[in-house]
Amino acid sequence: MTAIAVDKLTKRYGTHLAIHDVSFTVPRGSITGFLGPNGAGKTTTLRILAGSLGKTSGTVTVAGFDVETSSLEARARIGYLPEQAPLYPEMRVVEYLTFRAELKGVARRDRRAWVDEAMEKAVVGGVRDAMIGKLSKGYRQRVGLADALVARPEIVLLDEPTAGLDPNQIHEVRALLRGLGGAHTVLLSTHVLSEVEASCDRVVVLARGELVAEGSLEVLHAAAGSFVVVLRGEPEAARTVASAVADVTRVEASSVDEGTTRLVVHLAASASIDPVVAALVSAGMGVREVSPVRTSLEEAFRALTLTDKGDETGASS
Amino acid sequence: MRGFWPIFKRELFAFFVTPLAWVLLTVFLLVQGAHFFLLVDHLSTVTADAGDQTPLEAFFGDTVVLYLVLFLLVPPMTMRLFAEERRSGTIETLMTAPVSVPAVVLAKYAAALVTYIAMWLPTVLYVLILARTGGIDLHAAAASYLGVIVVGAGYLAIGLFMSALTRSQFLALLGTALVVLLLFLVGMGEFVTRDGTTLHDVCVHLSVWSTMTEMARGVVDSRRLVWGATLIVLPLFGTVRVVDAWAWG
Ligand SMILES: Nc1ncnc2c1ncn2[C@@H]1O[C@H](COP(=O)(O)OP(=O)(O)OP(=O)(O)O)[C@@H](O)[C@H]1O
Ligand SMILES: [Mg+2]
Repeated sequence: MTAIAVDKLTKRYGTHLAIHDVSFTVPRGSITGFLGPNGAGKTTTLRILAGSLGKTSGTVTVAGFDVETSSLEARARIGYLPEQAPLYPEMRVVEYLTFRAELKGVARRDRRAWVDEAMEKAVVGGVRDAMIGKLSKGYRQRVGLADALVARPEIVLLDEPTAGLDPNQIHEVRALLRGLGGAHTVLLSTHVLSEVEASCDRVVVLARGELVAEGSLEVLHAAAGSFVVVLRGEPEAARTVASAVADVTRVEASSVDEGTTRLVVHLAASASIDPVVAALVSAGMGVREVSPVRTSLEEAFRALTLTDKGDETGASS
Repeated sequence: MRGFWPIFKRELFAFFVTPLAWVLLTVFLLVQGAHFFLLVDHLSTVTADAGDQTPLEAFFGDTVVLYLVLFLLVPPMTMRLFAEERRSGTIETLMTAPVSVPAVVLAKYAAALVTYIAMWLPTVLYVLILARTGGIDLHAAAASYLGVIVVGAGYLAIGLFMSALTRSQFLALLGTALVVLLLFLVGMGEFVTRDGTTLHDVCVHLSVWSTMTEMARGVVDSRRLVWGATLIVLPLFGTVRVVDAWAWG
């Protein structure tokens, strides 16, 4: 059951290649985190999914509808929160949400109940009669969130839903997101990795416009594996041997006691530790122990999205 | 036409919550009131002259006040429509709702047109007052209002198109004012070109001035209506194309 299918998606802004040949799927009912450094192409991809931006090539299917050829059907099944959560400042919160519900085709008899439900979920009931232009950034963000949910869409696309919220609000939004799984399919972009750990069951990671990882959080942890290797030998020599192996991104060496060395070997995405062990053994260093290190999501993210050349992001050239 | 009705309602609402709307409405009614006063004053003192010009002709045709009003009224009414949504980014939430581009364009246009017509409504009172003092041709009055609506509708369509071309309300205002002025000047060509030349005929045909003068006399020429319809349909069609192009271009 696939809710969102992106196949060989490419997007150019003029000559600048923002998305290059990206393919991924989002299973129905899942909460998928959409990660990547600044300029990776998350917003661009979400806008294409939401139907507000045309693609250069590839196919994008949302809830079974092609976003370009069956645009209306696809949009009718999507709730989208854009990055800046743009709203009409001259409207009151409840007026705005009622307008949005009508615009999205919510039947007249359901409108009031659905608007109330969305306000409750996004915790904006307290400001229902406030003028949107007078709300704080956090509240505006939440009104945008209520808007994304108001028509009970199958698919919810959120571009940095917790940006600008205070810690209490972030906590509430996370609880809300967890509650959305199952009934809704959620794809949310974020820079807060603890949020992904707290509310997502899958991740899609972009860097410089290309897909670098897709799958469960476990896959992500394993994808950027680090191992502790304990061996007989000198730290410097062991480090040199290990570093020379392909796919090894970084090696830290320390001396445990006389003649014993502890290496922490960081590997590139989904590489195996076996060649490192083989290289050490053939260099005459007896390997005594190999154990995986469960990397933090931050480390996994860095390992996946930083190239060996060390360039930080895919910001436009 | 999905989305027409809610957008239409919101646009009406959005226009009337801005102070600008009330300023425009007040200025419009003040100018028209003063115009009416001068007109009545004129007709009551210079009775000898009044023979060759009916009050309607003096109010709607052969008067620069009408164009001044249209010129001052239309650009600020339409400048906001698309430019502001693009500047603030709300166009993205609007267009990602399940709405069709023609519905969005027509809803915004219909809201502006209804507002415009509503602004003219109080002036019907003047006509009624004139009618009570006798000597008003109701057919000519209807034709005059038709003229005011057709010309205004064309200008509003041009304003909507200009608003779709830019993110800046000010540029939209300027563009609309320029095009409206240009159209007026083409019409004025009637009085500077030589009678009988093709250029003269074109100017006469395209002249808003002559259109209104004719209609105030109760003459409804279908060719003038076709030209009016062109001024409405062409910019609206252009607007749909432009709005389509933002996303997919
Ligand atoms: N309208 C545009 N015109 C030209 N280039 C653009 C446009 N929008 C985005 N880009 C470029 O496309 C690339 C991807 O941008 P995008 O906004 O999708 O990144 P992002 O992953 O959302 O970043 P962030 O985390 O900062 O929000 C960037 O290099 C950006 O400069
Ligand atoms: Mg972004």
